[in-house]
Amino acid sequence: MATIGCREFESQLEKWMEGDRPVQGQAHVRDCPRCRGLVEDLTVIQSAARDSFVTELEPRPQLWNSLRAQLVQEGLIHDGRRKSSGWFERILGPLPRPVLAGAYLAAVIAVAFALSGPINQRINKARWLRGAQSAMMPVSTQLNTAEQRTISSGPSPITDSNPVVTASLHENLAIVDKYIALCEKSVQEEPENEIARDYLYDAYHQKADLLAQLSERGGYGR
Amino acid sequence: MNTTQSVSRHWNWKAATLLGPGLLVFSAAPAFAHRLEKHFPVESRPVITIHNPNGKVIVRAWTKPEVMVVANHASDKVEVDAEQSGNRVDVMTHQLEDSIAPDDLRADYEISVPEDAELQIHNDSGEVNVTNVLGDMNVETVAAGVALEDAAGYLTVKTVGGSFQCLRCAGRLEVSSISGSLRLLSLRSYHVRAQTSTGNILFDGEFLPNGIYRLKNYSGAIEVRFSPGDSFDLTAMSMKGRVNNEAKLTPPTHPTHFYSRFSNTILGTFNAGRAKMDLSSFDGTINILKRD
Repeated sequence: MATIGCREFESQLEKWMEGDRPVQGQAHVRDCPRCRGLVEDLTVIQSAARDSFVTELEPRPQLWNSLRAQLVQEGLIHDGRRKSSGWFERILGPLPRPVLAGAYLAAVIAVAFALSGPINQRINKARWLRGAQSAMMPVSTQLNTAEQRTISSGPSPITDSNPVVTASLHENLAIVDKYIALCEKSVQEEPENEIARDYLYDAYHQKADLLAQLSERGGYGR
Repeated sequence: MNTTQSVSRHWNWKAATLLGPGLLVFSAAPAFAHRLEKHFPVESRPVITIHNPNGKVIVRAWTKPEVMVVANHASDKVEVDAEQSGNRVDVMTHQLEDSIAPDDLRADYEISVPEDAELQIHNDSGEVNVTNVLGDMNVETVAAGVALEDAAGYLTVKTVGGSFQCLRCAGRLEVSSISGSLRLLSLRSYHVRAQTSTGNILFDGEFLPNGIYRLKNYSGAIEVRFSPGDSFDLTAMSMKGRVNNEAKLTPPTHPTHFYSRFSNTILGTFNAGRAKMDLSSFDGTINILKRD
């Protein structure tokens, strides 16, 4: 069986880490403690990265560009654009092996940092939602209870004798209920949206006001 | 009691119709069987409270230091009452029976007051018209529309479904409704807060220096008209609707990404930005248009 050297194995490292492992490469890893150590390090980092993020780990091209620029600037690698090979080989080709592992680790940390934005956003959104729900729920419950009470208290003679007023109150209560439902939906979708919350509280306020008016009149007037 | 004159005339309508064809001229007018007219001498800044379940309430200012109340109602099942307590005059319609027909509830008022009078009006349905009164005013209705003309002072108006119109109003205006539309025409107010849920809002008035104008609705249209010489800072945002703007604005110096993230927003300064105009809608359209 033909064997391969360290340099040739390094050129295949990208494919190796993606699961393409030819027999010659396997033989080299078995016989070469340095390359085996490198593969083990990269495997550990890859696995840790996979466990840390449920989201896709594919870094943005800008991230790799900035990482490469930084490495070039620090003299750790040469500008690989003069070669026609792939980006991975271009970066890793001239790199000493310990630096390679360190660079990969730095890259993973950078990816983790880049991905922490969306994750934090989701965490923040969940916090906003919890906050909004804890503020909304008691008000919503109280309003529903008040509405039930108002309905069950029976019609008022005054409201009853003025169908225009009764109709207006019913019609506007329906408008406000619809308005509340739409605002609640918006707040659920965008709990950090202060404008939606503001509209929702306005709607709650209007409903409370209407129920108070109905209650003052002695009931629903049905 | 400072009542100087109290006249109550009961008309026998059946008898009146026998008086002759001359009365046919008035046949389109409501048939009022009961008329009350009362006069109350008052000092400066009197307070007038009016509580009426259904009917037309017309209040006008005059130059006399006196409040005149003229009330008309057709039914025996309600009575109207006007009383004075110090510098306050209370006008009220009482329902005499628990269950009466809607038309029987109706009472109409024409009230003349000094121009510095303070008004508190509650009229569920019908309409409310106030002209030339410069004192503070609070009007609450359910279905009744409210129209103010040449009013000033601190004006607070609240309706449920009634529309609102303010013509040449000044002072401070706060108006809210659920489904009523709001029209603010030739306004000269330094502070306006107008809010309705489903109604439209029209603002066609002056932007006074340091004035604050906040118009807000849920749906429906908000329309603001401006002239080339006006000066205001504008924030117009509709969460789900459109914002159309004809004013050439200078962009704000501070970042505004928060508004932009959640809504269609236009911000900027028109001329020197002396007044502040905040327009907000949930899913209605906002139009900022040049005055014709």
